[in-house]
Amino acid sequence: MRPIPAFVLLPAALVAPAPAYAAEYLTVPQAQQLLFAEADRFVDAAVELSDDQRKAIEDKSGVRQRWKKQAVWRAEKAGQLLGWFIVDEVVGKHEFITYAAGLTPDGKVRGIEILVYRETHGYQVRNPDWRHHFEGKTLADPFKLEQDIPNIAGATLSCKNVTNGVKRLLALQQVVLR
Amino acid sequence: MNKNTRFWSVLLSGALVMSGGAVADEGLFGYVKGAEPLPKGSWDAEQWFTWRGGKEQGSYNALDTKTEVEYGFTDRFSGSVAFFGLGINTSGLMIDAYLPGDKNYPWRPAGVEAAVKYNYLTPALDDFGLAQYTSLSYFWYDVNSGFRKNVYSFETFLIAQKYYLDGQLVVAANLGIEADSATRQPIQNLPPDFEWPLTPEMEIAITASAGITYRVISNWFIGAEIFYQTEHETVVGQERWSLQAGPTIHYAARDWWVTLTWMPQLVGGGTPYPGQTYNQQLIEKTSQEIRLKIGINF
Repeated sequence: MRPIPAFVLLPAALVAPAPAYAAEYLTVPQAQQLLFAEADRFVDAAVELSDDQRKAIEDKSGVRQRWKKQAVWRAEKAGQLLGWFIVDEVVGKHEFITYAAGLTPDGKVRGIEILVYRETHGYQVRNPDWRHHFEGKTLADPFKLEQDIPNIAGATLSCKNVTNGVKRLLALQQVVLR
Repeated sequence: MNKNTRFWSVLLSGALVMSGGAVADEGLFGYVKGAEPLPKGSWDAEQWFTWRGGKEQGSYNALDTKTEVEYGFTDRFSGSVAFFGLGINTSGLMIDAYLPGDKNYPWRPAGVEAAVKYNYLTPALDDFGLAQYTSLSYFWYDVNSGFRKNVYSFETFLIAQKYYLDGQLVVAANLGIEADSATRQPIQNLPPDFEWPLTPEMEIAITASAGITYRVISNWFIGAEIFYQTEHETVVGQERWSLQAGPTIHYAARDWWVTLTWMPQLVGGGTPYPGQTYNQQLIEKTSQEIRLKIGINF
């Protein structure tokens, strides 16, 4: 086999050896336990959204519902519904950010957990101090950076998209999880 | 891997390590500047390589290098210093006052620059981003001819940037003005009728540029840029103008990024040099330009 010429290898060398830098902080079961510690069962309740439902979610939240399928679990204790556990992905600056939200049956945020974060800046989104700002929020709240959710310099796009994402999940709950 | 490939691979690895870093003020485009601020306390460095080639007649190849380090003083205000280099190989073309003869050297230090950037609006936080970039520079080589020439420049431009589709689609535009004061240095043995004025000259250039880029898959952006420049002198008014446009590709990893842009000159105007037939501005510009930018975050 002939050796690959240097002029081919040069551009390839620039881009090919991209290091795997995704930081997977939590698995889905770990996040479920953190958000619903008292639950004894998580029932798969994944939803497939119709175009009308996606439109309704967008109308309620003001945020585009990118995905047609959404990973959802019912968190239960002794057969009683504790809330909804939803895994979502939002656009980060370079890659998707994977996070989970716990929602109460009456439409409040119980908490959020970052599962996978791949960006250069903004690892503070994992800090409890930042994530606590979502607790208790409902769809009636503004969900605006520097208003009811603090911004993290250098990770503004990530903060904004996670904030919008949580608001969208509250709308999704109203539209399909009632 | 043969010896030649290994040499280039080692050289490239060294360049990546030595070229400094950047990401928050990440260069999504080769020519259009973005309005993302550099966070307070963050450092950011970039290494640019710009190849310029083709003036229709003769042979013209030039390589500009720019090494820049930027620091975020606040979340809205950053400052940078840059160091420029020039390599040139030109022959077979002389243009009065602009190209006094053949020149050939691989690389020489050519200039320095200090700049500040202030963000009035942040693209991800506000409806759109708006920043102002202002720089002062001094070059002791003329990047067009490769001969000695003292050039002092002041440049300021506004940067607008907007995210669409949650940030997957990025649009940016720049509008700016640059004022130059240039003094050519004496050259021995010029032809007797060759024009090479040694008195200082003032020139004002207005630039407008725009770019659009889309994240096709994670980490990869593909887009296009357009760059317009018009140059004015006090005596002749608009002296020349040019319009460049081309594709750009950008890859960003966590700690570094790279952007490659091809910007051929589509059309240009103003006084051509004697014998020029292309409808382009080739006195101070070239037909082709390719820019490679590398940033490493630290």
